[in-house]
Amino acid sequence: MAITLKELLDAGGERLSLELVCGEKYLTRTIEENAINRPGLALTGFFQYFALRRLQIFGLAEFTYLKSLEPEEREARLRPIFEKTVPGIIVARNRNPPPELRALAEEYQTPLLRTTMITSHFINECTVLIEELSAPRGRIAGTMLNIKGIGVLLQGKAGIGKSETALSLIERGSSLVSDDVTDVIRNSHGRIVAFANDLTRFHMEIRGVGIVHVPSLFGMGAIQQETELDMVIRLHLYQPEDEAERDGKLAEIDVLDLRIPFYDLPVSPGRDMANLVETTALNHKLKVLGHDAAKELDEKVIGRFLKKAEK
Amino acid sequence: MMDTPDSISREFTVENEYGIHARPAALLVKTAGKFSCEILIGKKGYEVSAKSIMGLLTIEGHRGAKLCVHATGEDAGEAMVEIADLFEKKFFED
Repeated sequence: MAITLKELLDAGGERLSLELVCGEKYLTRTIEENAINRPGLALTGFFQYFALRRLQIFGLAEFTYLKSLEPEEREARLRPIFEKTVPGIIVARNRNPPPELRALAEEYQTPLLRTTMITSHFINECTVLIEELSAPRGRIAGTMLNIKGIGVLLQGKAGIGKSETALSLIERGSSLVSDDVTDVIRNSHGRIVAFANDLTRFHMEIRGVGIVHVPSLFGMGAIQQETELDMVIRLHLYQPEDEAERDGKLAEIDVLDLRIPFYDLPVSPGRDMANLVETTALNHKLKVLGHDAAKELDEKVIGRFLKKAEK
Repeated sequence: MMDTPDSISREFTVENEYGIHARPAALLVKTAGKFSCEILIGKKGYEVSAKSIMGLLTIEGHRGAKLCVHATGEDAGEAMVEIADLFEKKFFED
């Protein structure tokens, strides 16, 4: 998803010490490629492989070079960059842009911004911010918890007992991230990060009780701002055909185009769901670390049987 | 999307002053909960289950907001009639 310069300026004004010099009307331009380019070579007239979809930053080197040129020459060197319709130009080190740069920015309706940061720092910070802003995001149904360091999304039909299970888990030391509705983004490390909608954050709705504010009742330890998603557990009403799933084979579910481990837990009267969810989460962590309890048991069984088998 | 007896879509405008805050949300959940069909409600590209209070609050149904309701399942028709009634009666507010 391409972001606009306005989004970058809104989110990065403070973090990147970024301010607008001119071109407020053109802030709707989008950054088509999530990176930043130093147009040093382009200034010399070399336009092969010119990264025109990226933000262009003028640092000390570009400035010193431009300064060495006569005003007409400077204008002639800058114009081709604007002709390529770059998304925007950033001037580093709080420099005053030369009049030619300003005039061309106006002429080609290109936003011109300025930062107090030095070029290399700005490039690092800005790349990270653009990645964050353009990360795929969505909103999914489910209650998000961090259970002993494992990020678990609880799903299931209305009334199956997600919030009640979450409540018991909170009592057992888990922390709540969001109830019933969870916002997710895919970060640049290829992980899903889950957090709550800011309007309903840390509130829960419990059938028969009403709406509760979790940190007021259970303390700050009972909540967490965000957590990485490790697995999805769906609660469903027990059906006799569930028996086939006893082997505990690992399924996966798609979240923002990433495959996330998925477990389907049957609910029936008398099953302690909080305990089962926690055990499923811990067992999954154990599997990820290389211990598969089901497989190990089976190997043990087969080993004994092979020994006893009639030769 | 074409309607069939089992799959109905309608658009409603929120008309009560405070929008779909906790009380109307609870009313919607209570109504939706009476039916076995799946009921989704929301705005452009973002829908939640009408059976979740927390979900309903996040769609930010302020006065003037246009909300799409999709009901899918056997009793979708009856569910839609009751939901339409709630919107029409401004959730018994104002």
